[in-house]
Amino acid sequence: MQFTQNKEGVFLVLEVEGRMDAATSSQFEAHCLGCLEAGDKRLVVDLSKLEYISSAGLRSILSAAKKLKGAGGDMAFCAMGGIVAEVFAVSGFSKLFPTFPSRQEALARS
Amino acid sequence: MKPLFPRGLALRLSALVLTGAGAVFVSIVLATYFMAREALLHQAEANARNFSQALVNHIESVLAPIPKIAQGMAYDMEYGDLAEADIFQRQRRLLQDNEALYGTAVAFEPEGRRKGQLYYAPYTFRTPLGPKATFLGGPDYRYHGMDWYQIPREMDRIEWSEPYYDEGGGDSLMATCSVPFHRVKDGKQSVAGVVTADVSLEWLKRLVAGTSVLDTGYAYLITRTGTYVTHPASGVAYNESIFSRAEAHQDQALRQIGQDMIRGGSKFLPQTSLHSGKQGFLVYAPLPSTGWSLGVFYPRDELLASVHTLALVSAALGGGGFLALAVLIAFIARGITRPLRRLTVAARDVAEGNLDAQMPELGAKDEVRELAESFGHMQTSLRDYIRDLTQATASRERMESELRIAHDIQMGILPKIFPPFPNRSEIDLFASLVPAREVGGDFYDFFPCGEDQFCFLIGDVSGKGVPAAFYMAVAKTLIKAVAESARSGEQRRTDEQRITDEQRKADEGRTPGMDSAVRARRGADPGRILTRASNDLAQDNESCMFVTIFCAVLNMNTGEVRYASAGHNPPVLLRAGGVPEYLPTQQEPVAGAMEGVVYTTDTLILAPGDGILLYTDGVTEAMNPDLALYGEDRLLEQVAARGALEPKALCEHLGRDILSFASGAEQSDDITMLALRYLGSGENAG
Repeated sequence: MQFTQNKEGVFLVLEVEGRMDAATSSQFEAHCLGCLEAGDKRLVVDLSKLEYISSAGLRSILSAAKKLKGAGGDMAFCAMGGIVAEVFAVSGFSKLFPTFPSRQEALARS
Repeated sequence: MKPLFPRGLALRLSALVLTGAGAVFVSIVLATYFMAREALLHQAEANARNFSQALVNHIESVLAPIPKIAQGMAYDMEYGDLAEADIFQRQRRLLQDNEALYGTAVAFEPEGRRKGQLYYAPYTFRTPLGPKATFLGGPDYRYHGMDWYQIPREMDRIEWSEPYYDEGGGDSLMATCSVPFHRVKDGKQSVAGVVTADVSLEWLKRLVAGTSVLDTGYAYLITRTGTYVTHPASGVAYNESIFSRAEAHQDQALRQIGQDMIRGGSKFLPQTSLHSGKQGFLVYAPLPSTGWSLGVFYPRDELLASVHTLALVSAALGGGGFLALAVLIAFIARGITRPLRRLTVAARDVAEGNLDAQMPELGAKDEVRELAESFGHMQTSLRDYIRDLTQATASRERMESELRIAHDIQMGILPKIFPPFPNRSEIDLFASLVPAREVGGDFYDFFPCGEDQFCFLIGDVSGKGVPAAFYMAVAKTLIKAVAESARSGEQRRTDEQRITDEQRKADEGRTPGMDSAVRARRGADPGRILTRASNDLAQDNESCMFVTIFCAVLNMNTGEVRYASAGHNPPVLLRAGGVPEYLPTQQEPVAGAMEGVVYTTDTLILAPGDGILLYTDGVTEAMNPDLALYGEDRLLEQVAARGALEPKALCEHLGRDILSFASGAEQSDDITMLALRYLGSGENAG
């Protein structure tokens, strides 16, 4: 799993590439915690290049999001497609977290 | 008994060193032999020359004065006629003065002393009784024609005769030195006679023959014509010459030697003796006064005997030294390799599994000791490693054993008796769970809840293994508790207080006009069950684990199914005679993720023969070796193909299909299915 990040206004856009499953999901959580320690509390996670997400991946998203929230920040998701979008929909994560069809829309929110 | 040279390093070391040492020894012995032989040959030649020269000098010291004596007498005769008595007196005195002189004569020419007197030769010679005077010549001894007289007279010079055996005079071997003397006659000087000096050669014969040359060497003497004066072989002296012997034996080399000898040559050269047949060296030197030549033969083997002795001694010394060295090297080699052999024994012991075998303690701080210490380290490391491995294995076995028990417990809390209610004909149900590991996070459950109400559900905890198994046990127990508590009025009222207004609105919006009595009759509400269970799970959920649940309550009389989904995969609805389809769900969040999530209850009616299949993502996300997913489409196809089957057959068919799809790829998630078929109440069916 690979991460690309760049600052867009108040948000830090984090692009995740690869597969988020039991073997790799802890990397995502660790990376988000690293961002939080660096002072970035508001994350927009771009999932356009994520190929697959398992329940372990969802757990690490949940864990990271809770920690951001505890620190006064938040986490939004955008540009997810295919099976990832399906998993988000079925698991109800789309209802737990703000999700947007595109990065622009995610950044345009107040 | 151990061999002196055990095969291996000691033998090879010894063999190599001894081969080298042996080669050096042999070279030294050979070199010593040849060098000593050369040196000894040079020495022998010098000795031989000196020896023969000493012999020559000895002989010369005797013979050399003889011509001078004769010469002196000849001078006396030339200066005037001496009286006969004077001649005899002088002769007697010469004999007295010269031990070597046997006899001396003054022989005149015919009528040289007196007219008419043919022979006049006063002669004095030794006898045992003293010198005796006599006259030579007469009809029976015509001395004018004899060699001793005629040759010096004709040659007009001092002449030594060939040796002869004198029977008349001394009865012994003689040689005569003759010196002519002159008188002036008719104004012309001519030879008037010959003075002779006879020398007995018996002493010379004894001297030369008695000269011992090594063991079988010998000396001999030849005259100017090559005649042998002495020779060790009997009958050779006076009878044979060196040339006649060379002729008889066809010995060209001997002939050349003889020619050089009579020419007065002097040499040291190798020769094969005709006398003894031995190889050897000949040294010869001339006797200047007589023109004779002395030859001395040295047998080679005797000359070089000391060299041979030296060679034998050095060979013996070398051989002895070699043997001593061999023994020494053998001991040294054994000494060096002994620690190695001890180490080998110990190492073999270790190799056979005795890790406590004692390594030999070696004295010297050398490579072998370092090796032994390394072996010791290896032994310790092996011992530690095996101990650790044993512990790790034991610990793993304990863990596996615990996991097996945990598996049994987990399987034990799932209902497994099918059909579950043999006395109820309304439903047919089957469920299966295949964990990916010993324990997993999937679960299913079913139980009656209230009158004619039947609750069935399936769940999938995020993650796998022990944490998921714990969470699953908690979730499953909690749901059942909530569902069962929903039946009691007391509990429901307590519930009511906790249910949010939103929930109530949602309920009333969906089933308008429904009062609490109706709700009680309808039994537990899946939405509420999930709402409460999710809230309870979300509290103090530090690990952020969650669970997806599909929960449904079937009214066995009417076929009405109320259901709610907490982020779970949509079940497959299989209408009797219809095409299977996914049951649309609200896509509400997973349970346990957040507090305050409210779940909605949906309703559908099952006709007799309709079925519903619940499953977890272990089915749709089963992977083959190319990481391709089994997928919703294939699941639907397979259900369609086997739709008419009873639940057990359907589950087993899908299990086999998933297995064949995976083609041996490792199962990554628990595979759980629950299939229910509504057969209708007795009244409806009837």
